[in-house]
Amino acid sequence: MRRKILYLLTVFILIAVSAAAQDLALKGGTILTITKGTIENGTVVIQDGKITAVGKNINIPSGIKIIDVTGKYVMPGLIDSHTHIAFGMGDGNEVSNPVTPQIWMKEVLDPGHDTIRTTLAGGVTTVKTMHGSANVIGGVNVTIKLKYNHPVEEMMVKGVRQQLKMALGENPKRLYGSKGRMPSTRMGNAYVARKAFIEAQEYKAKWDKYEKEKAAGKKDIKPPEKDLKMETLRMVLEKDMTIDCHTYRADEIVWLLKFCKEFDIVLKQISHCVDGYKVADLMAEAGVSFGGWVDWWGMKEEMYDGCPFGFKIMHDAGVNIVINSDSANEGRFLYLNAAKMLKYNDLPEIEALKMITINAARSLEMEERIGSIEVGKDGDMAVFDKHPLDSTTKVLKTIIEGVIYYDYVESRVRVKGSYR
Amino acid sequence: MKKKIAIICAALFYLGAFYADAQETILIKNGTIVPVVGKVITSGNLLITDGIIAKIGTGIKAPEKAKIIDAKGMYVYPGMIGPLTAVGVTGYPGAGSDTDEIGVSTPHMDSYDAVNPEDECIEVTRIDGVTTVLTVSGTRSAINGKAVALNLEGNLAEDMVIKRDVVQIFNTGARARNGYPSTLSGVNSLIRDKLNQAKLYAEKKKKKAKSPKKFKYDLEMEALNQVLSRKVPALFITSDEVTIRNALHIIEEYNLKGIIFATAGILKFAEKLAAENIPVIWAGTTTMPQRWEAVDKYYQTAFVLAKKGVLFAFNESGRPGSRNVRRQPVPASLSVAYGLSEQEAIKALTINPAKILGIDNQVGSLEKGKTANVIICTKSLVQLSSKIHTVIINGKIIPKTSVQTRLLDKFKKIVQERKKQSREKRE
Repeated sequence: MRRKILYLLTVFILIAVSAAAQDLALKGGTILTITKGTIENGTVVIQDGKITAVGKNINIPSGIKIIDVTGKYVMPGLIDSHTHIAFGMGDGNEVSNPVTPQIWMKEVLDPGHDTIRTTLAGGVTTVKTMHGSANVIGGVNVTIKLKYNHPVEEMMVKGVRQQLKMALGENPKRLYGSKGRMPSTRMGNAYVARKAFIEAQEYKAKWDKYEKEKAAGKKDIKPPEKDLKMETLRMVLEKDMTIDCHTYRADEIVWLLKFCKEFDIVLKQISHCVDGYKVADLMAEAGVSFGGWVDWWGMKEEMYDGCPFGFKIMHDAGVNIVINSDSANEGRFLYLNAAKMLKYNDLPEIEALKMITINAARSLEMEERIGSIEVGKDGDMAVFDKHPLDSTTKVLKTIIEGVIYYDYVESRVRVKGSYR
Repeated sequence: MKKKIAIICAALFYLGAFYADAQETILIKNGTIVPVVGKVITSGNLLITDGIIAKIGTGIKAPEKAKIIDAKGMYVYPGMIGPLTAVGVTGYPGAGSDTDEIGVSTPHMDSYDAVNPEDECIEVTRIDGVTTVLTVSGTRSAINGKAVALNLEGNLAEDMVIKRDVVQIFNTGARARNGYPSTLSGVNSLIRDKLNQAKLYAEKKKKKAKSPKKFKYDLEMEALNQVLSRKVPALFITSDEVTIRNALHIIEEYNLKGIIFATAGILKFAEKLAAENIPVIWAGTTTMPQRWEAVDKYYQTAFVLAKKGVLFAFNESGRPGSRNVRRQPVPASLSVAYGLSEQEAIKALTINPAKILGIDNQVGSLEKGKTANVIICTKSLVQLSSKIHTVIINGKIIPKTSVQTRLLDKFKKIVQERKKQSREKRE
């Protein structure tokens, strides 16, 4: 009996090990590499979680699990650079203060959260998840791979700069205004942000001085007091962290670009950015990504000028455009939104696909690792049954670093105990 | 002389105004015509005269002075219908919406009284192919009010109306935040109480028919009597299995002409709904599954409803929307991806909602004699990348302009100009 159990245990361990081996070959599909064209009847080989071969007539190394994807479409896993998943809703906003850079999103990640499962079903492999927009300076976002039910440490992407969330406009105004506190106006928003960064500059100067003196061997010096709020902002000032700012109106976008210049900090993405098309040239010049929806508009005043036709203006101006979901629900439909973008803008299909892959990777500073199917990149894939821009397509498989995290099996809806 | 010029000017002005508003004779030719009822006609023609579909088929000759639209390589459909919206009554953000009057029972509220033909959502909605909507007075109370079916064309609300008193809207899940009814059982009791009162009111009114002066006329009771007499269908907003069940009980008890608006929990009732001919407005394709539910449960629901024989229409949102009613095809696309036939999906955007709202004698399909609400698209309606080439409502070609196309035109120029200036500065 005991031997039997032992035997079973070994079998289990073997299965577990082979499942985590991260070797996989997708054979016979149409491969949309995004950066290097489309390969009909192609093969992608993933070994140790990285892409080791892409193309036609590839010799698949022996011992690798082969998945036949003949007639199917393979594209890089979709990327969402602004969403709110993988944590409980109560942890969405630290509403006690308009400046809370000491808050880190990584500390509330729930790897078993159901939003990861539903997002995987939309072919998404990497997201930047973040808190809400209650605060002018919110907290630190976290970029994760959607390794459902795996330890947080394995989900979090390492070796890239994380981003600090800021928010301008009506949200912080409304929240703190309703509490009878600053900021209750856009002027207040501006002041709160500026004051925080001026304090951070002073804090940084103190620490710089201390570290310089210490390095010079000076004795009898005390380190300045540590302040977690200021520590984060100091990272931003030292360009070890970048900014993703939630804003809608063109005037705020312009203000923000100047603000970041003034403090010499790196702005990677302007989120929602519904007025982005109005100042597309300025955004392109500043090298900041647009991260927003295709057709949301008018839910509040600052959002009234949302325009689905604006993508072409931004594209022509040279803005890095990313389609974001901003929610667990929309996060399942990035590919549908890419199709929708084409309805309103005369752009090539490949541009639509870039907006949910490589452009998003660029906004996350991960374009060397994800966002396209190229040798050396992470083995993150989405397999569709039809072309991903055909709106009647569905995701069949979502693969992260060679491991299948979502495998579509028709649930064949069974109705138990139906009413008659 | 001056007088003569003035007369000529006036005459020209009059003629101009007349022609601008006139319903043209339009011939759409060479398109793939999808009448929704009946067979698809490849390389077909469709003739519109006086705002009505006059002929449909192949080889129709263009009458003199007809405007000809070449639809070669494109698809011709009836305009889509938004079966539960707030188009026309939502208003500018901050200006206050005109839906959901205060009170737990407001059946006498009529959205027609608040329709603003200048609402910018109208243009945004129609240039994307939704030509007809049901505009509601509210959905958040137990008993909400009347709804009006509108064609999204016309300078006055009365020009837009297809039908008034289309439905009366109940909500079996509308717990009040403060006070009665704060539970589902309370909501049901309130609805029953009001319907019972309305019955008594009708009897009293009948008795006092000879001396009407002594009778106290009550708008609330009058509105509910329209529902009790089955003149107006009762549309129940529901949110889950319990609220659907409660709605069906009330429909049965009072012998109402029921319609169910659902976002979840509908499948268990499919056979019952089909057997009892109770139609469904299905707004749950994008409902988030619960953690114990399959990820494709809601994507598949429309397919199962169709298979079981339930008459259903898509609604893009679980609430009456206005800004993005143009998203109507989204649930259709998703449902087709997960099993529904394209044909059924398109019906659920056009003729099915027309049937459910009782306006299928006028709109919802391309048939001789129906109102000419016609759209021409570059691809199938279930393709979200399909561009809307032409929109015709009431036989009029709709300019493809909206607040958003105006923004596009304005800022395209501004950005180009600024780019040019900064280039010159650099040089």
